Amino acid sequence: MTDTVISLADVGIRFRRNRRSRRSLKDLFSGSRRRSRSGEFWALRKVSFTVQRGEAIGVVGRNGQGKSTLLKLVTGVVLPDEGTVDVIEGVAPLIEITGGFVDDLTVRDNVYLTAGLHGMTRKQVDARFDDIIDFAEIADFIDTPYKHLSSGMKVRIAFAVISRLEEPIILVDEVLAVGDKAFREKCYRRIEELLAGGRTLFFVSHNERDLRRFCARGLYLDKGALVLDGPINDVLDRYNAQYGIKPA
Amino acid sequence: MSSNAEVRPGQRTPFSRYRHSLWLLTQRDLRVRYSTSLLGYFWSILDPLVMAGIYWFVFTQVFQRTVGNEPYIVFLLAALLPWMWFNGAISDCTRAFLREAKLIRSTRIPRTIWVNRLVLSKGIEFLAAIPVLIIFAIIYRAQINADAIFFPLAILIQAVLTAGVGLIVAPLVVFFRDLERAVKLILRFLFYASPIIYGTSDLPENLQFWAAFNPLSGIFSLYRAAFFPDELDWFVVGVSAVMSLLFLGIGLLVFSRTERAVLKEI
Repeated sequence: MTDTVISLADVGIRFRRNRRSRRSLKDLFSGSRRRSRSGEFWALRKVSFTVQRGEAIGVVGRNGQGKSTLLKLVTGVVLPDEGTVDVIEGVAPLIEITGGFVDDLTVRDNVYLTAGLHGMTRKQVDARFDDIIDFAEIADFIDTPYKHLSSGMKVRIAFAVISRLEEPIILVDEVLAVGDKAFREKCYRRIEELLAGGRTLFFVSHNERDLRRFCARGLYLDKGALVLDGPINDVLDRYNAQYGIKPA
Repeated sequence: MSSNAEVRPGQRTPFSRYRHSLWLLTQRDLRVRYSTSLLGYFWSILDPLVMAGIYWFVFTQVFQRTVGNEPYIVFLLAALLPWMWFNGAISDCTRAFLREAKLIRSTRIPRTIWVNRLVLSKGIEFLAAIPVLIIFAIIYRAQINADAIFFPLAILIQAVLTAGVGLIVAPLVVFFRDLERAVKLILRFLFYASPIIYGTSDLPENLQFWAAFNPLSGIFSLYRAAFFPDELDWFVVGVSAVMSLLFLGIGLLVFSRTERAVLKEI
């Protein structure tokens, strides 16, 4: 059995430059001159790498260089235009974690719903329910509709659910920037715990300290290309050298 | 704490996972509807009741009706309730991706689920409204006959058709926003172009053949056969079934072709 859990081969994905301007049927019928054909650009191109089970990888790059897109490709919520993405194990994506939560339902219903949509059975959620609520520290709000929670609580419960998914691969996209310091530290400890349990981590952050804390290997993305794939310290040094930020 | 020994979500078969997710989303829809208003169930049957009331009044009290069968209210409801299913599911499909964008961006359930769950939840509402039809059938002493066994077949064909049309509409609306309004118009046209307030046999001879190509004709005639055996025309039903499968085929094709672009767009 191979230990490669993620492999990307020559992956490329392109977006329309002007994503927000939607086409309409009206445009379709108007003359070709009036049709504004917005240009396309490659958000990522010719990206290839493999990840072994248990690796912790930090993705580094400036804003808009394709970091989040890379994570979405690995999660499988966008599909590449060229190349192949193979992910052979389940993924717990800490991306848009509050996405599955419904305002009108209670916290309890939401926990069952979100965990269920990520593939857990009712019994599995039952077994973890108390842990999840404890972790999020919202025992008093179990039967409160989700919309009445504070924004901090919303993120806490969402993190608690997704980090309990027991999936072998975890993807983290800067979600930890929210929440108070104590909770953030708790999330970090949870991630370390998961790493110690042999999970594979994919981590996107601008915070150098966090990157060095969790990751051994780094991927440096610039202008849609994978510029450097090496030990996290080398990657961060290169990034800093290129964009003139003094090492912390 | 984090033992890997037990069954992990990824190890369930894709099919059972799909079914599980489909059921969860449908449950969520129904729960949201019924938990936010005490009148939940009442609301879901109120719409067809008001519609049926209006048509019943117009066509039995105001005009002298020459179409349909006696009792007219049962004749009407037998097609109006399934129409509500079709109409509701398709108009919801125009927002299938846009409304759930956040959820679609964070989970990787097969994307056809966003259409199929609408077909399912509207279908369940349809089933929940069937008692209304039965009550009116009892009040007006409509004779139920053996053709009622075709009811499930009608439901099946309609589910195939609705899913097929939904799979075409849902992704296209993401690219062409004003299609949402066009779909509403088409649905309104379709309401009168389908045998709901009349029966296929009420159409002029030369139109009847073409009416069969509206897949809803056969489906509604199959529902109605339970009370009005004359309505059953196997040629029309057969065409409906073929058309429905055709729509499903086209729908799956359109959907798989556009999926990549839809995911980028939302």
